[in-house]
Amino acid sequence: MADELRNRLRDLRGERGLTQAALAELVGVSRKTINTVENGVFVPSTLLALKLARALGVPVEEIFSLDQ
Amino acid sequence: MRYIVEGKVTSSDIETADRLSRRRARMIPVLAAIFLAGQAAYFSQDRAERLVDHVKIGAWLIWVLVLLVVLETGGGFIHSKKVRALINDEITRANRQRAYAIGFWTAMGVGIGTYVVAMFEPVTSREAIHLIVTAAIGGALLMFGLLERRAHRDG
Repeated sequence: MADELRNRLRDLRGERGLTQAALAELVGVSRKTINTVENGVFVPSTLLALKLARALGVPVEEIFSLDQ
Repeated sequence: MRYIVEGKVTSSDIETADRLSRRRARMIPVLAAIFLAGQAAYFSQDRAERLVDHVKIGAWLIWVLVLLVVLETGGGFIHSKKVRALINDEITRANRQRAYAIGFWTAMGVGIGTYVVAMFEPVTSREAIHLIVTAAIGGALLMFGLLERRAHRDG
């Protein structure tokens, strides 16, 4: 069975009242990157995932998990 | 080539990068379409080696080089390093790699097709190279543009 990546990036971003642009500014990437990660179109690198976790103040596993 | 956003990124950088990236996503498929559509002129006439033919070939070479630079670098040279890094961040680099793969397979398809045609009709080396390179660049640019447009679409 293929593993899929679940992500709660949009939910966590919304809980903190951040726009995609605001989160992009905190992480140092484009708004487009935030958009594609949230939509599941793009799987971020480990580096980007860690930066997102740091920006949101949560462990990376709280944003991304495996859906087996 | 590494793209590292050095220093704090501002909201202005994000907005500028977003605007440039959207513009690029709109323009690149148009550039590709114009480039591809213009190729008919190279094959619609007889093969007389006139000065104007050499000028056309020179123009094609310049087009090819410019499009390769646009595809590889993403453009935006007049903007700051930070903005250029933003318009060439992870998702764009991933899209570029996928575009290169499409360009490769397009080149293979056209190359093999040209090889088969050459069994029945004379095809000069210049014509074959022209077809393969044009198809590869056109295919890569179209795919890159489509992927970048998809990336901007809100889900």
